Amino acid sequence: MTRRIVIVGTGIAGLTAADWLRAAGHDGELTIVGDERHAAYSRPALSKAMLHGDDLTAHRLPPPTHRATERLGVTAMALDVDRRTVALDDGSALPYDGLVIATGSRARRLGDGAGELTLRTLDDAIALRARLAHRPPVVVVGGGALGMEIASSCLAAGCPVTLVSRGRPLLHQLGTFLADVFVTAAMERGLTVVETRSARLRRDGAATQVITDEGTVVEADVVVTAVGDLHNVEWLATSGLLRGGALDVDSRGRVRPDIVAAGDVAAFPTRRGVRRVPLWTSAIDQSKVAAAALLRGDEAPALDFQPYFWTEQFGLTLKAAGFLPLAGPPAFVDGDSTCGPALMRWAHRDGSGTAVALNYRIPVPRLCRLSEATAA
Amino acid sequence: MKILLDRPRCEGHGLCEEAAPGLMHLDDEGELVLDHEEVDGDLLAAANVAVRVCPVAALLLA
Repeated sequence: MTRRIVIVGTGIAGLTAADWLRAAGHDGELTIVGDERHAAYSRPALSKAMLHGDDLTAHRLPPPTHRATERLGVTAMALDVDRRTVALDDGSALPYDGLVIATGSRARRLGDGAGELTLRTLDDAIALRARLAHRPPVVVVGGGALGMEIASSCLAAGCPVTLVSRGRPLLHQLGTFLADVFVTAAMERGLTVVETRSARLRRDGAATQVITDEGTVVEADVVVTAVGDLHNVEWLATSGLLRGGALDVDSRGRVRPDIVAAGDVAAFPTRRGVRRVPLWTSAIDQSKVAAAALLRGDEAPALDFQPYFWTEQFGLTLKAAGFLPLAGPPAFVDGDSTCGPALMRWAHRDGSGTAVALNYRIPVPRLCRLSEATAA
Repeated sequence: MKILLDRPRCEGHGLCEEAAPGLMHLDDEGELVLDHEEVDGDLLAAANVAVRVCPVAALLLA
């Protein structure tokens, strides 16, 4: 009998788990603990609408209905799986019968923090937005999806922007074809791209410099880095749950029968191996499965993970169903322009595929079906 | 309670449809159609989940 459930983490994974625990019939105690003081919000909106334009509500989610006790601004410090308690930084310990680990991840930093902005939380977005008000020159370090979205938003806010990227931007995320499409659009809109083998930060008085491996020095009033994320597992160090520093779960999100994990913190089985997939829909899908498994065990359905990724930047909107990156050119299902509107498909060796809608409106269930369909 | 759609915000991700397939769906053009606007009881729980998963906060319950 799972009477008391504790959820650690107030992001979309924790929130979704709470909703689905209630929907699956858990009417016992439910407590959600998180170190952010804000109620849950939409993280994808932070690097898009939140940074430019007048809409300061794009991140807002409706108030929760899960009737859980929320303890915001409190950090979980340690987990004792034998006593079944979570130790909190206010000195108290929360007992549980069932536990959901949803502590997410944080921005990896290039330097020691001084003069380096990152974008992960609502507070980060508010701080960055304030710094853009007078349209200062901006350097973004990191050519992944987040770095490119930040660069796009800073350009849209009227700032001159330089992007420093390890190799071609988006190449590792999307593959050659789509990376070219996005980099071309970005440069047409005025983005300066510096490709390098690696980069580091140096403080020079009040200024921050980005120094590349090749010796190029880029300086700007505002330096934002987007160089990956680190999962928040330090509080689990003495729990015995980590394997080689990773928090692995089974296909139902379980670490053990009374503990599940979901969202950016967890590595779960996919068709491409056990991995973390730190994306919005991944967190939601994992949480639904984990919530059900915590209550019903093996009777709950296993996760059938279908990757879904989207990005908006430099006037392009991309939605992708299926695994990324993509090798070679696509087959065009509809439209024939490389900058859209177009519907494209890549076939993989295992018979599956990836469907991509570029500036092309399509119901996502249809996009998913297109990705799965074997090529005729 | 009533589900409200802020149509200009909707980007057609369809996560709401996945969360509450009986309440809403995307049509062939990718436009969201609300099949039930007034929700109570069991439907309300599903509606809440659907509203919450929208990454662009295009849905509201009022």
